[in-house]
Amino acid sequence: MRDFGLTRRRFLNLTAATAGVLATPLLLDGCSSLAGKPTASTSAGAKTGTLRVGWTSEPDILNPFTFTSSAASEIIALVYDTLLSYGPDRNAVPGLATEGTYSTDQKSITYKLRSGVTWHDGTPFSADDVKFSWDTISKNNLGQAAQYLADLVSVTVTDPSTVVAAFKRPQAFDPALIIPIVPKHIWSTMSADAIQKDPNAKPVGTGPYTFTEWKPGQYVSVARNEKWWGTAPSASALTWVHFDSADVMTQSLVAGDVDVLTEVPPLLWDGLKSSANVKPIEMESYSFHHIGINVSNDPKSGGNKLLLDKNVRQALSCSLDRSQLVQLALAGHGLPGSVLLPAAFGELQLQIPAAEQLNANVAKGNALLDAAGYRKGSDGMRVSPGGKRLSFRLIAIQATDVDVRAAQLFVSAAASVGIKLTLQTVDETTMGNVVYNAAAPNWDLFVWGWDSSTPDPDYLLGVPLTSQIGNNNDVYYSNTTYDGLYEQQATTVDAAARLALVQQMQRMYYDECAYLVMWYQSKLQAYRTDTWKGWVSIPGGMVFNFTRSNYLGVTPV
Amino acid sequence: MSLDERPGLPVEPGEDTLQPSSRIPWWRAVWGDRMGRVGLVLVIVVLALVVVGPMIFPFAASSFGLSANSILQPPSGGHWLGTDELGRDVFRQVLVGGQISLLVGLSATAIAMVVGAGLGLVSGYYAGWRDNVLMRITDFFLVLPTLPLIIALAALLGQSVVITSLVIGLTSWPQTTRIIRSQVLSLRERPLVLRVRSLGATDRRTIWVHIFPNVSPLIFANLVLVLAGAILSEASLAFLGLGDPVHVSWGTMLHFAFTSGAMSRGAWWYVLPPGIGIVILVLGFSLVGHSLDRILNPQSRGAR
Amino acid sequence: MSVRYLARKVFSLAVTLYAVATFNFLLFHVLPGNPVRLMARAGHLDPAAVAQLKQLFGLDRSLPIQYLIYLRDLIQGNLGFSYVYRQPVTTVLGPAIRNTILLLGTATLLTIVVGVGLGVIAGARANSRTDTSVVVSSLVLWSLPTFWTGMILIFICGVWFHLLPISGINTLGYSFTSLGHLVDLGKHLILPTLTLALVNVAEFALITRSSLVDVMSEDYMVTARAKGLRRRVIVWRHGVRNALLPIVTATALYMGLVLGGAIQVEAVFSWPGMGLLSYKAVLSRDYPVLEASFLIFAVAVIIMNFASDLLYRALDPRVRQS
Repeated sequence: MRDFGLTRRRFLNLTAATAGVLATPLLLDGCSSLAGKPTASTSAGAKTGTLRVGWTSEPDILNPFTFTSSAASEIIALVYDTLLSYGPDRNAVPGLATEGTYSTDQKSITYKLRSGVTWHDGTPFSADDVKFSWDTISKNNLGQAAQYLADLVSVTVTDPSTVVAAFKRPQAFDPALIIPIVPKHIWSTMSADAIQKDPNAKPVGTGPYTFTEWKPGQYVSVARNEKWWGTAPSASALTWVHFDSADVMTQSLVAGDVDVLTEVPPLLWDGLKSSANVKPIEMESYSFHHIGINVSNDPKSGGNKLLLDKNVRQALSCSLDRSQLVQLALAGHGLPGSVLLPAAFGELQLQIPAAEQLNANVAKGNALLDAAGYRKGSDGMRVSPGGKRLSFRLIAIQATDVDVRAAQLFVSAAASVGIKLTLQTVDETTMGNVVYNAAAPNWDLFVWGWDSSTPDPDYLLGVPLTSQIGNNNDVYYSNTTYDGLYEQQATTVDAAARLALVQQMQRMYYDECAYLVMWYQSKLQAYRTDTWKGWVSIPGGMVFNFTRSNYLGVTPV
Repeated sequence: MSLDERPGLPVEPGEDTLQPSSRIPWWRAVWGDRMGRVGLVLVIVVLALVVVGPMIFPFAASSFGLSANSILQPPSGGHWLGTDELGRDVFRQVLVGGQISLLVGLSATAIAMVVGAGLGLVSGYYAGWRDNVLMRITDFFLVLPTLPLIIALAALLGQSVVITSLVIGLTSWPQTTRIIRSQVLSLRERPLVLRVRSLGATDRRTIWVHIFPNVSPLIFANLVLVLAGAILSEASLAFLGLGDPVHVSWGTMLHFAFTSGAMSRGAWWYVLPPGIGIVILVLGFSLVGHSLDRILNPQSRGAR
Repeated sequence: MSVRYLARKVFSLAVTLYAVATFNFLLFHVLPGNPVRLMARAGHLDPAAVAQLKQLFGLDRSLPIQYLIYLRDLIQGNLGFSYVYRQPVTTVLGPAIRNTILLLGTATLLTIVVGVGLGVIAGARANSRTDTSVVVSSLVLWSLPTFWTGMILIFICGVWFHLLPISGINTLGYSFTSLGHLVDLGKHLILPTLTLALVNVAEFALITRSSLVDVMSEDYMVTARAKGLRRRVIVWRHGVRNALLPIVTATALYMGLVLGGAIQVEAVFSWPGMGLLSYKAVLSRDYPVLEASFLIFAVAVIIMNFASDLLYRALDPRVRQS
């Protein structure tokens, strides 16, 4: 999923489920208690019992069917419940269902529902709500959750506290973990069109917090649901405060106007180390940023054909000093990039021997191009044997500061091997439109990222597949050998055999240089130590992650 | 007029007080005026720094830092104005950035002058229906809020030095048209011009020989103010992130400073210099423009 | 003011408004970027779903038809449906317009009072030391980029001395009494207002000064002075009143330009108004919001010009007599 936040959460939910057990969470500030009523406190944040989150994000819509942003997901996850949800260590914990049991053929799941649950408007929750929520998504192919119900055959209410979901095929992933359950009495009167378009300005769920207010561009706030079925969280209200500038946001944390930040840019994060009562946290993430090169063979592609020459791509890779990129763009908060799988994947990640790396080696880059017949012109820029200048367009998303910085460095690095790059910054929409225009992709190079947040390699390794052209395959790479290896690893059960295949694929894609992976960045967040305690560091983030456990677990200082 | 240009410095033609262009040359007149002299000095100092500076001072053009320790460092012997968020020398950046700011300002002004003065000459000289139509259009563009218009156009056309110049130039002409037109309207009724025309001189010759020389001081005075406005416009546009990301101007520097966290890191050395550069350059041009205004409108000379 | 004059003015206002509406449409329907892809990108929608979305947002029609629909909706006060907020644009704009009016209203009041005051002080003593320092400092202020002035104020008041809030419109996470809320709002208002006033005050100071100087040199003023009337009486009773006309014109012009300042100030201080909204709309290519904000900016300026024309005519003794 794209590392600009739009779909990240959705994918996280899916992959974390298939991934199973992950890294053990690190406990900070002692024990994280899930219990406890709010206690009186002298600090600003806890005085009113409100936990204030600062972010530069903004929800797109609070419609639990059609939202796409991580920001909306964060709020919807607290207002609505799912049948099952994630605990702090990313294991499945009970939600509206106390348990979910697979049939022996893995084709159906039986959920036992909690009794005595009410909606925020007082209406009792029932099994019909569950059936309605699942059916609405499945029948209307509604929103992103629809893909998880693609195999759904039926949802049956066998008794008031039991729901059975039947599927065409065995299901490795339990959709109960991600589908918000909505009240039938509110949504059933609408047509599918109306549901799609509904802004859901006043969300009504069963979750631990009831929706209070959303002032676009300012804040979203929710208040504790005193009738929630679970252990009452300490914070009597949560407010997500929107900032247009990360700088101002960081200053507000220091000044005590917010309690925790979802994402802090590297330089600002460093600045927080010396601030009183503020704790910056660096967490591992399953993400990378890369330079994508248009390698489409399609005659309709507007990409520069010179980039189809692997020598040119490898020379570009050699010109990049990835350590310098990490130092300058991320202020050191990350690791130099190489293969498709980030370092967090552990032994699955292939280590490229130093001598074979296409990194920080201008001499090698120049040698490659010399050997391939690209001569340097009078201005130091190279010309192909066919007389064409090695001059390419580079696009980066303006709002992603680190990418713009990387792009500036890349322009000067490429010049060192005689390749001219012209940088143009664009907004996210334009980037998506230009790059994903599968009919006629008219671009040469881009800077962008992927965020997998999963230790299972399946998703990231699937990005370069021929079948993903038009979807995730943003560089139009197509190689039947690679596609075959992917199929093979997906059905290989033996861990060692699969590891060999996975590493072979990484090596292959590395040498192809359709992706120049620049770095594996850290997840940088920060919180105030004098307002709320019990923050748990989780790979992927304390907040703005797939689990709501920190919201439910923190207590006033 | 351009987006950040505030209309405090109108160069209105005085009624029938236009000075023949054959008097003392403008620079001597401006130099003779205290305010104008200060303005000229400011402009010349900035020009010298920006044009000659990069050749004299030793730092490499875009040499990036090597480690995180080179980012946003305070001023030192090696970096007189510290470093930016990529470890580049701010002093060097300021010098080079000034070139871009000036370049965009000058090209935008050139475009605005050609369009503005051209339309003003045509409109005023021919009068009648042509004047009517042109003035309607001019008034329409005059009334459009400039910054929102420039933002929309820049977002539409992309970000480069050429596009920024075009966008600012093509939105800065209406004021000039208005001023030139009203002057030309009065000039064409002058006995000399009427006689020349009755003797059968072509329109083109009349405009070029008899009208243009008489409005050129006005055009020049207006040019200086449009230039000041264009530099401010470019800065605002770039600050909002719609500038050329590679050819970094003062406005783009401030954009990066604002978005990279220089503010909360207390990196005043990164925020102050580009802004001061803009202020000095704009102030210099507006002092010169103000002074020219006095010279062209002597009736308010004692006053202004 | 004759009825005929008024009718002509109203007609010309209507024509201008129509022209702006059309220009607005042309401008924003040639901007690249397809909003359906923005939504489709997340879930990789199939073509049918994309078509459905297009229909939902009316993007499947031809441009002329879209134009007619646009005009019809405009007349009905329907500004469209925001792609990003998925709410009617009017809903999104409502609070933003209020916030911008609050900011610009306060700033304009401060600017005019201080600007005219400075202009009178300088104009009454033409060519004195005071006069020169007012003119020079006005020119310096005029040369300040709005956004940079805001950044400097943030440095001084926010970063170095934690004096004032530097972002947003109110402090969040606190529950206030209504008075407390008002005080909080006032604190947030100070820096953005100050920024706008600082960079715009010059204009009023210079115009007031020069028109006052012109008035002061008129025969009747010279006579009044010769009669030995007190300087302050002359300046305020006769001078300022007669210097009012150019100030009226300047105010209308200023409105068109201060909007540019508002966008910058709102971006720097995260003030949730029209400026911030339209800037963010450009970045996300939210056409309907962009169209609507540009239209509202333009209409506001046109109406201000119209009002100032009428006011000018009402105030101008020469016009009134004829």
